[in-house]
Amino acid sequence: MFYRNSTCVFALAAALLVTVGSAQAADDARYPNLKGQWSVILTPGLGGQRVKFDPTKPWGRRQEAPLTAEYQKIHEDSMADQAKGGLGNYPTATCHPGGMPRMMSTGEYEYIVEPETTYILIGGEDHYRRIFTDGRPWPTDIEPTYAGYAIGKWLDEAGSGRFDVLEVETRGPFMGPRAYDATGLPLHFDNQSIFKERFYLDKTDPNILHDMITVIDHALTRPWTVDKTYRRNLNPRPKWREFYCIEGSVNVVIGKENYFLSADGLLMPAKQHQAPPDLRYFK
Amino acid sequence: MLDGRSIGVAVLKGALLIATLAATVGVAAAGEEAKYPDLRGQWIGILRSSAGIPGQASFDPGKPWGKGQQAPLTPEYQAILEANLKSQAEGGLGDWRGAACLGFGMPLIAYGFQPMEIIVTPETTYVLVNWVEHTRRIYTDGRDWPAEIEPTLTGYSIGRWIDASQAGRYDMLEVETRGPFKGPRHYDAAGLPLHHDNESVFKERFYLDKAEKNLLHDEITVIDHALTRPWTVTRDFRRNPNPRPNWGEFVCAEGNAYVTIGKETYFFSADGLLMPMKKGQTPPDLHYFK
Repeated sequence: MFYRNSTCVFALAAALLVTVGSAQAADDARYPNLKGQWSVILTPGLGGQRVKFDPTKPWGRRQEAPLTAEYQKIHEDSMADQAKGGLGNYPTATCHPGGMPRMMSTGEYEYIVEPETTYILIGGEDHYRRIFTDGRPWPTDIEPTYAGYAIGKWLDEAGSGRFDVLEVETRGPFMGPRAYDATGLPLHFDNQSIFKERFYLDKTDPNILHDMITVIDHALTRPWTVDKTYRRNLNPRPKWREFYCIEGSVNVVIGKENYFLSADGLLMPAKQHQAPPDLRYFK
Repeated sequence: MLDGRSIGVAVLKGALLIATLAATVGVAAAGEEAKYPDLRGQWIGILRSSAGIPGQASFDPGKPWGKGQQAPLTPEYQAILEANLKSQAEGGLGDWRGAACLGFGMPLIAYGFQPMEIIVTPETTYVLVNWVEHTRRIYTDGRDWPAEIEPTLTGYSIGRWIDASQAGRYDMLEVETRGPFKGPRHYDAAGLPLHHDNESVFKERFYLDKAEKNLLHDEITVIDHALTRPWTVTRDFRRNPNPRPNWGEFVCAEGNAYVTIGKETYFFSADGLLMPMKKGQTPPDLHYFK
């Protein structure tokens, strides 16, 4: 009787200790390992610039975005203006942030996963994304930003006892105009887009990260979903570059006209037969 | 041999053992979590240590900007400061690059002009600067200085957590930041310069105030060839008590009123046209339009 009871007590003690120990171990390993430097994976051989929403298709028209007729025309007008030397619908050319979703198509990313917030550090014109995972409701008064306001939820979809998917919804009001790429492929000027994302590591390669993004936007005839993928730099101590958009920027908007800066830093026309800027304040 | 009392004692002893062991594990875990000071939240830089200090914010928050800082400059760099002040008095910028959204660099990015966030992980402490510069990464993973560092305005930072008060937890982050830096860099918008060799070294000690946990100190020492001796100041930051603060987006390109064309900087007027910054300034060379 004594032994049986004693055994029960110590078995209980051991079981509790294992439970406590496991809880701590699980706590450490509760989140997927997103450490390191991540770069966008692009399908090689596609034309145009590297910044594109669907990384498997060429930029611009060939993204085959499901634009409404009105926004198809806005895109065509943007490309026509650019063909003449204008900026079209691409404010990032003057170093304004790209915002969502362009900010997920650019440079090198770092993820910091904390229980309350997942941070995405982004170089370039855009700074960071803060994805709040502390269970907060949507605020009633959101200040317009290019990045939007993001609330996320960690999921254990595989039932493995640890989180494997970060589901995120990002809402505006956004600042704008925003474009998916440098051709000026537009988002709606009402700046009311909604983005739904699922971040997860590839099941067969933990150095590939997926960001399945769905855009819901009034410039689209239906939600547009792409699977953006990123590769982890295997160097555990990668270089983090500093990027200042203004350095090397060649576009200067004076009045309502865009001009180029020449190699010697002087103004030059961006369009054929473009008039020089109005210098009335120098008289 | 066994009675109810014995069983009761054994159960009690077992329960005590469980409690003790569980408590030990719990304390260890809590100790791990509490190893670092709580720097969470939004930190607002205290740009001037008392009201009425004239001019824009500068390195020493207790003194006016420019010459009022009484920086221990070498005569050569005192002359550069004078030249910058003269240029600004005439409407120019001197060699101050901040106005053109070209970045500020160390030490200006450590003042907290925009609300900052500090994220502490065992390997790296991140300072989200939220300004033209975005992030300071302070590596605390025990790495050595790399043999080759790419020049940046922010510099390369290695830190070390210290239990200065021997309380069993870290209470101070010691940081050294080295170049090569990009430049020119300044302490303030008056053009108070750092050396153009861009070889400054910054030594910092971050710690929470002993009496006020919502007050963060950053004691910064600058070692720079434009100085006759190391220059040390302490900058302070106050934590926003709102646990869910608003994080604005700083966009330098928005509302930037300066443009550099050739070797001259001009203003944009309210209607977006070019206008002179200096009296008698010539208009930009338009020979590419002929």
